[in-house]
Amino acid sequence: MTAADIPDDASIGRTRTGTVRLRPGSRAPGVLLIVALLLLWELSSRAGWIVSAYWPPVSHILAAAVAQLAGGEILVSLAATLRRAAIGYVAASVAGIALGIVLARNRALRCGLLPLIEIVRPMPTPAIIPPLILFLGVDDALKIFIVALASFFPIFTTTFVGVASIDDTLIQTARTFRISSTRMLYGVVLPATLPAIAAGLRTATSLCLVVAVLSEMIAGSSGVGYYLVEMQYAMRPDLMYAAVFYLALTGYALNRGFLALEARLIPWMGKT
Amino acid sequence: MSEKLGFDHVTKVFEGSGSEPDYVAFDDITLEAAPSEFLAIVGPSGCGKSTLLRLAAGLILPTRGQVVLGHKPIDAPPPGVIYLFQQYAKSLFAWRTVIDNVMFPLEGAPRARRAEQRAQCREYLRQVGLAGFEDKYPWQLSGGMQQRVAIARALAANPEVLLLDEPFSAVDALTRMELQTLVLQLWEQRKFTAILVTHDVDEAIFLADRVAVLGARPTSLKEIIDVGLPRPRDQFATREDPRFLKLRHDITASLLARSDGHVASV
Repeated sequence: MTAADIPDDASIGRTRTGTVRLRPGSRAPGVLLIVALLLLWELSSRAGWIVSAYWPPVSHILAAAVAQLAGGEILVSLAATLRRAAIGYVAASVAGIALGIVLARNRALRCGLLPLIEIVRPMPTPAIIPPLILFLGVDDALKIFIVALASFFPIFTTTFVGVASIDDTLIQTARTFRISSTRMLYGVVLPATLPAIAAGLRTATSLCLVVAVLSEMIAGSSGVGYYLVEMQYAMRPDLMYAAVFYLALTGYALNRGFLALEARLIPWMGKT
Repeated sequence: MSEKLGFDHVTKVFEGSGSEPDYVAFDDITLEAAPSEFLAIVGPSGCGKSTLLRLAAGLILPTRGQVVLGHKPIDAPPPGVIYLFQQYAKSLFAWRTVIDNVMFPLEGAPRARRAEQRAQCREYLRQVGLAGFEDKYPWQLSGGMQQRVAIARALAANPEVLLLDEPFSAVDALTRMELQTLVLQLWEQRKFTAILVTHDVDEAIFLADRVAVLGARPTSLKEIIDVGLPRPRDQFATREDPRFLKLRHDITASLLARSDGHVASV
């Protein structure tokens, strides 16, 4: 089912394979709610319901956002954050997909490495930033490493589970055609796992941005995280909120872009 | 092109894990399908029929005895032995179009022959009644059509032996009859050896030259019945033949009979 097939009403549909899936439905009520909340914010600040220097009206924040964009400072910060997020994300993708497939298909490596991964996985990534600073300093190496570490786990886990849950019938079918092990890997296992891998990649897309910003807050001299902390010290809540708004916009755009790519590159998603 | 396939005193034991006892799937089975023969194997559910086919395909190995293709024991998936699964949807490659699914067995060959092979695959799709569906994806087709794709793919692999593992049990009754007729036509044209596993006695008689009847667990071979109905078979004439009814009676009675030889009332 492609996005175009989804009827424009909010309901729960059954796909051909019988899995229940939520249909997004019309966006109008959701957009209305957002507009109403923003109006409430504006009103609460202007009418003096909330009296605080840190609660500027939405209109001020929008003005600040426009000024930020015109000055270019937010773009520079966003670019720095996105660069770190992207490098860490790519490293995590390569490692996560490769290890996920290898461990799912190799019993010896699985027995050797899985306990280690299971121990490291539940650890909150930000918790190891302070000790890591001692080894990696406070520059890019630290931030990219943290992003990669945090993004690795969802990608690894979904890939691993995805390979392990390939239906046996599919593998046996391929075996009876006597294909090489290379072709089994690239021609059967990898495409059969792609929907699962995509799910992990999508989770990591938002996670890498979160962790990049966080690492810039703790130790940094550039990026949106650093900018946010700076504006906090400078008592400029309007610029802070505006930067948060740009982050939200970036995250949203990344997710939408990812979904569009997914629909185009993996049309069999959810069909097996 | 066809080859004989035989089970020579084959025993298959699945080792239980931990405290579970070992599970004897079947014990000392000897059975052979002659070249170009259509052999059906019927037995109650869970008697290990599919396990026999998996052994024949080289997907698993026997505990004792051997499975022989021609004169060579099978110890890995042999060339020319193709497996048609019951779960057609799970055996098709969802990321490949219909024509690319059919092309799958041929892609080890040199690229220079690709265009010729593609034309050949279109012909196989036409033979199974799927002309015009080449560029669809399997999940866009009905169940019966998906199994037709799997049949076309089996043809592309140029089978000497075709193993049919209850291939029609997951489709509706009318589609089942159409697919049975289709498989018979293809078998008569190509003359591969066919081994069908089913719990549908009518289907076994309609398709096969001989029907092997398996008993309940631990499974052994009870008897082999010659069908002897004239070919080409016809969905009406064959099924209304008094000999067909007699065979159905005998095989069903044999399946229902307990180990002490007592025939359960039907």
